[in-house]
Amino acid sequence: MRAIYRVARATYYEGWRRRFLNGILVFAILIIGSSWVFTYLQPGAELKMLIDVGLGSIRFFGMLIAVFLGTRLIPDEIEKRTIYTLLSKPVTRMQFLLGKYFGGLATVISNVALMGATFYVVFLVKAPQFAQPTEEGSPVYSMEFMYENIAKAIVLNFVELAVVMAIAVVASVVFSWILAAIVSFFVYFVGQMSEFFGHLADPETTANPVARMILLTIYRVLPHFENFDVRESILTDIPVIWPYMGKVAAMGALYVAVVLALGYLFFNQREV
Amino acid sequence: MNNTVKQLVVGILIIGLLIGMRPLSDAISYDRLVLGYARPTQVTKILQYDAPAMTSVIVGAMLGGFREVAASMLWMKTHSMWHKGAGTQWDALYLMRMTTLLDPHWLEPWRITAWHCAYNLYVETDDEEKRAELVETGVNVLKEGISWNPDRYDLYFELGWTYFDKIRDYEEAARWMGAAVRFEHPEYIERLIAHGWERVPEMEKALMWYDYCLKRRPSDHTAKGATITIRERYLPASRLIDEGRFEEAADAADMYLTINPQATLALHMKAHVYERAGDLEKALEYWALAAENYTLDYHARAKVADLCEQLGWPVPEYASHIYMREQQLKQQREMAIRRDAN
Repeated sequence: MRAIYRVARATYYEGWRRRFLNGILVFAILIIGSSWVFTYLQPGAELKMLIDVGLGSIRFFGMLIAVFLGTRLIPDEIEKRTIYTLLSKPVTRMQFLLGKYFGGLATVISNVALMGATFYVVFLVKAPQFAQPTEEGSPVYSMEFMYENIAKAIVLNFVELAVVMAIAVVASVVFSWILAAIVSFFVYFVGQMSEFFGHLADPETTANPVARMILLTIYRVLPHFENFDVRESILTDIPVIWPYMGKVAAMGALYVAVVLALGYLFFNQREV
Repeated sequence: MNNTVKQLVVGILIIGLLIGMRPLSDAISYDRLVLGYARPTQVTKILQYDAPAMTSVIVGAMLGGFREVAASMLWMKTHSMWHKGAGTQWDALYLMRMTTLLDPHWLEPWRITAWHCAYNLYVETDDEEKRAELVETGVNVLKEGISWNPDRYDLYFELGWTYFDKIRDYEEAARWMGAAVRFEHPEYIERLIAHGWERVPEMEKALMWYDYCLKRRPSDHTAKGATITIRERYLPASRLIDEGRFEEAADAADMYLTINPQATLALHMKAHVYERAGDLEKALEYWALAAENYTLDYHARAKVADLCEQLGWPVPEYASHIYMREQQLKQQREMAIRRDAN
């Protein structure tokens, strides 16, 4: 455990020193901080736009940080040859992999927490103003669960990024970092549509059994990233209940375990 | 434990975890559906091959958080295409549809897309079958929009208005506008419900809604005038119909027709009297008179077509009648399927 902690700690600080990540973070905070400016695009639906742009930016920039950081963690160690020093010490490959993963994840979560806090401040200031109906018949937004739901959406975002991070780290063990980044983006984008693949795998939609089997495999194997997206319930002010949060978190943890176990298999085979 | 055994154990662990994830994944999908966290999946097929719609579903999913911004940009593009004028109507429809899929909680694109189908594209063709299809598309677009935004009055009202103004199915119009008033809404919708019922004609129901308008706002002069008119001119006939005294009801309707032989509501009332009495030929005569007097009286025209069909006479085809007949057939088919299933 101590070895994992040490590697993770070093990775965390190293992550914060990466300039391109700081650049993404600053840009993200600027976008999120000014998310209320985009509300002019949809007059009468300002609150909806604020939530969409704010939470959407957190998800998107969080994913960028997770992919770019995750795919660089191990290749950089190999490139700089520091991995030899580390692995010659009593640090196993599994400990090294886990340390890198948890260190990177801590960096991503702290980044996203900063973005989330920025959005929360913007929301607290602007939401009461946008929730007021501007004319007769304008929507009156119910905001009973909205504040709590936004916090929960950010927490679910952490779990989602834990999965993205695991995929990025493991992909970087198998491929070069650029290819790993492409693979991670691909998995992320396709994973956003996994329900769509499930729908296509239905016998009523697709008649060909081979195509159906392929679609069903994609549906079963790929992570269901849309499960982490609860913006629908925020907009309609439906409470996001804790049992659902628990199930999604358990699903995320299981998925991370599968990906890291796969990563261990690949990393164990790899010559460094 | 040697390396091969370790790898075997890890491999088995991976398979076990993947199998274990399946019930959890199913439970989450179920929760999302039941708790309302998932986006509705109903997709209206607007065009024969709805490729742009599918593309936008995919692009929308890929864009994740920026769908709404993309939708706004697309809407601006629709505006610029709109101002180019002729020849761009169908292209504009593609863009409108993509916008509704990218941001289904934005009401304006739903409203405009439905209006574009049921009104703008409608007048681009003389084929009544095609017109009926376009009206149906407009209705389906609004119904899909409602499935995404069930807690806002806007689209219920738009759908009610399409039934009221374009299809002239006043009962359906009153039903959807009745759904609209369950949410925060402008006052005129209540008066429109009353207008709808008086055109059916269902005078008791119309009166009930006008009374409601008056109680809420005693200075509502439209409701006040309509209440007086209905009580004076149409309520006696309506009561007599309910009592089965059809001859007297026809006489009561005649009282106002003598003063104004072209009064639409009085003609509707007279036709309604004969329809309720089972004298379809007489009813047809008065619906035809109403349709001839006022060319935009689609309700009367649809009634003419409907009664001709019932009497086995040649049916003049009007878009709204074709549409309503299609809907009736669909309902009958669905009921038969349900009956067979039971």
